[in-house]
Amino acid sequence: MKLKVCGMKYQDNIEQVAAIQPDYLGFIFYEKTPRHFNTKIPKLSSDIKKTGVFVNEDLNKVIQKINEFDLQAVQLHGEEAPFYCNMLRTTTLLKKPVEVIKVFSVMDGFNFKILDEYEAVCDYYLFDTKGKLPGGNGYTFDWSLLNDYPSTKLFFLSGGIGIDEVEDIRKFKESDASKYCYALDVNSKFELEPGLKNIGVLREFINKLSNNKKMQEYNVDERGYYGNFGGAFIPEMLYPNVEELRQNYLKIMGDPDFKKEFDQLLKDYVGRPSPLYFAKRLSENYNTKIYLKREDLNHTGAHKINNTIGQILMAKRLGKNRIIAETGAGQHGVATATVCALMGLECIVYMGEIDIARQAPNVARMKMLGAKVIPALSGSRTLKDATNEAIRDWINNPVNTHYIIGSAIGPHPYPDMVTRFQSVISEEIKWQLKEQEGRENPDYVAACIGGGSNAAGTYYHFLHEENVKIIAVEAAGLGVDSGESAATSVLGKEGIIHGCKTLLMQTDDGQITEPYSISAGLDYPGVGPMHAHLSKTGRAEFMSITDSDAMEAGLELSKLEGIIPAIETSHALAIFKHKTFKQEDIVVMSLSGRGDKDLQNYIDYFKI
Amino acid sequence: MNRIQTKLEEDKKLLSIYFTAGYPNLDDTTKIIHDLEKSGVDMIEIGLPFSDPLADGPTIQDSSTQALKNGMTTEVLFNQLKNIRKSVNIPLIIMGYFNPMLQYGVEDFCKKCQEIGIDGLIIPDLPVDVYHEEYKAIFDSYGLINVFLITPQTSDERIRFIDSVSDGFIYMVSSASTTGAKSGFGNEQTEYFKRIDNLNLKNPQIVGFGISNNRTFKAATTYAKGAIIGSAFVKHVTNEGIETIPNFVNSILK
Repeated sequence: MKLKVCGMKYQDNIEQVAAIQPDYLGFIFYEKTPRHFNTKIPKLSSDIKKTGVFVNEDLNKVIQKINEFDLQAVQLHGEEAPFYCNMLRTTTLLKKPVEVIKVFSVMDGFNFKILDEYEAVCDYYLFDTKGKLPGGNGYTFDWSLLNDYPSTKLFFLSGGIGIDEVEDIRKFKESDASKYCYALDVNSKFELEPGLKNIGVLREFINKLSNNKKMQEYNVDERGYYGNFGGAFIPEMLYPNVEELRQNYLKIMGDPDFKKEFDQLLKDYVGRPSPLYFAKRLSENYNTKIYLKREDLNHTGAHKINNTIGQILMAKRLGKNRIIAETGAGQHGVATATVCALMGLECIVYMGEIDIARQAPNVARMKMLGAKVIPALSGSRTLKDATNEAIRDWINNPVNTHYIIGSAIGPHPYPDMVTRFQSVISEEIKWQLKEQEGRENPDYVAACIGGGSNAAGTYYHFLHEENVKIIAVEAAGLGVDSGESAATSVLGKEGIIHGCKTLLMQTDDGQITEPYSISAGLDYPGVGPMHAHLSKTGRAEFMSITDSDAMEAGLELSKLEGIIPAIETSHALAIFKHKTFKQEDIVVMSLSGRGDKDLQNYIDYFKI
Repeated sequence: MNRIQTKLEEDKKLLSIYFTAGYPNLDDTTKIIHDLEKSGVDMIEIGLPFSDPLADGPTIQDSSTQALKNGMTTEVLFNQLKNIRKSVNIPLIIMGYFNPMLQYGVEDFCKKCQEIGIDGLIIPDLPVDVYHEEYKAIFDSYGLINVFLITPQTSDERIRFIDSVSDGFIYMVSSASTTGAKSGFGNEQTEYFKRIDNLNLKNPQIVGFGISNNRTFKAATTYAKGAIIGSAFVKHVTNEGIETIPNFVNSILK
């Protein structure tokens, strides 16, 4: 459920509230209220919709305010007629379209009939308490009235909501009456004085609400932990770099200019949004509804580029001119080399000596893109050692270098930062599924997990949706008990790898061991701390898929849908053989990468 | 009083040597310790090898890999050291990464160290903040001194925090690098040594990284209480074997 904080008045206070990241901020342009807004709106994150609140105002004046303050929504609190709402939706005088929210005061015996003529002319309704003055009156109404709500239009719930109502809200959310409730609208119960919001109480309210929904529990906390996992176990030499990032990443990501540039590149360069494709023949085969989120159609062929675009922009904001990265199969290396070419920055990619030999085409790609590929010669000479080498490089180059980690691993804030950049995947799934199925939430989301960045992005916006079940698919290699496996959630123990506390495969003596999978992208001995937490709390169901099951599933998708998936992704696809879904279930699966890079593997395996 | 603290009160510049336990051969550990003490070394850092030593350059990485291949484990090391205090008097510090200690159990690890007569620990990937909140009480109860690193990039404020949490010495990393990456000091290092000296910290500083001979030892100890040699010693053992340890130490102290 979204949150709108209304009745903003003071510049500093607006910025403080914006930092809590509500979805809407309301500015009241009605003069007969102590919360009348009469100054400037500071620069806000584009994630927050600036909402102008008006009461029977002259239409031209409303239009002028919308343009002047760059409002994204208007909330109409008087007796504005349907044509008035329609005008705001259709007028050419607006620089950008606005959402129109029509307010209705509700009391016992409210006649929902009145909504009929508004159905076609506004985006949302807002139900408020009936009171003497227009606008916030601070009294809640009996929400069970909404049991009789005849419409399917989404609405805001308003009127006297405060911290004491958290339990009622929770009950309301579980009831049928909340089916179309889109957002909560809060105002006077969070004020020190009219128009001045109490940040502490607001924060507590959000925490309490999300605790009830267990959202807090699955997101990173202020110390950088997901439950017991995460943190930053780094040598002092890395502290200044990691600390610089920790202090700035949220600020930078929240900056509207950053967001704009990021979104623009995702759209024009990466090719987003990636389609959410209903896989008809696959669905028929398994008698359920399967949607594939087509990350394989991204530029460079996988989800990896979502993160590298984000981090390269981050690196530029931090004034870094030298980029380092680790890579296993070369996918993240290519995605990093690509964005470095795009931005004209020096790029050094560490890759295990053995992987360099196994993945010659990707090495060639990186070189074509202008990157320097340095072989990791230490240890087992694969991904884990490439990561060690990249970290050592960063220790030796503490000032001008940014390390683009390729997965949701590493010291805080990396897992959270990478997850946020990848969360565009689930953000898109929500509206795409809504378009196609009329609901935002599927019954299942599923993804394969190595370090877990595509999975983290696929789950992110569903973590707190209790009705959405999460499936995480690990590589079992030759079998979980074969000694040749990468099923970290089963075989791993709590420990520290690459700067974070998580589940990892290790000897009894605490030496990190080398995992095995046919898929180069899944054979990481650890797993991102968020996933370790999802595993331990049981929020996600972890499944292990063997090489052979994965390969078969890859072939099956190729033949049924005309899509050759990456072998990593094939692991996720193999769950349909092992788990039965109901016919009416909607399963959204991240198709994390395309199979071009794995062609030789498929050829060798199937003797094609 | 802990042996480290007693040693730090001596009116001389201290030489501390790091070696990787179990290298070149599994059972060289005690001989190396004895020879180092006899040669006049003031303090020894016994490296507990780790599969993924992030802060180390190739020399110590390779020696760690070999030591693990030789069969070195935490348990084996503790067994090798169990009678060490019958014959060795200088301070002994175990230097290793946090994961093996975590798997052994931090409290059990500390208890074992106390039994053996280990005086302190250096754990590069256990940040001071985490130590302070979660582990200091345990270390204290077993009389162990935990030593923290500072680098030229560490802020004065953080150095003061580290100083307040420490009660032995501060390990002053000479430049931003992994171990064995650089040799010798430039003006930048001298400025840095002076800057730290001027902070008048309660804990003396011992310089590490970049010290490999008499000249660099002298330069490092101009402003600091002592210096640590790691990679250069491991290299010496690799090239010359363990029979010529006195020669190496003499060449530093001459």
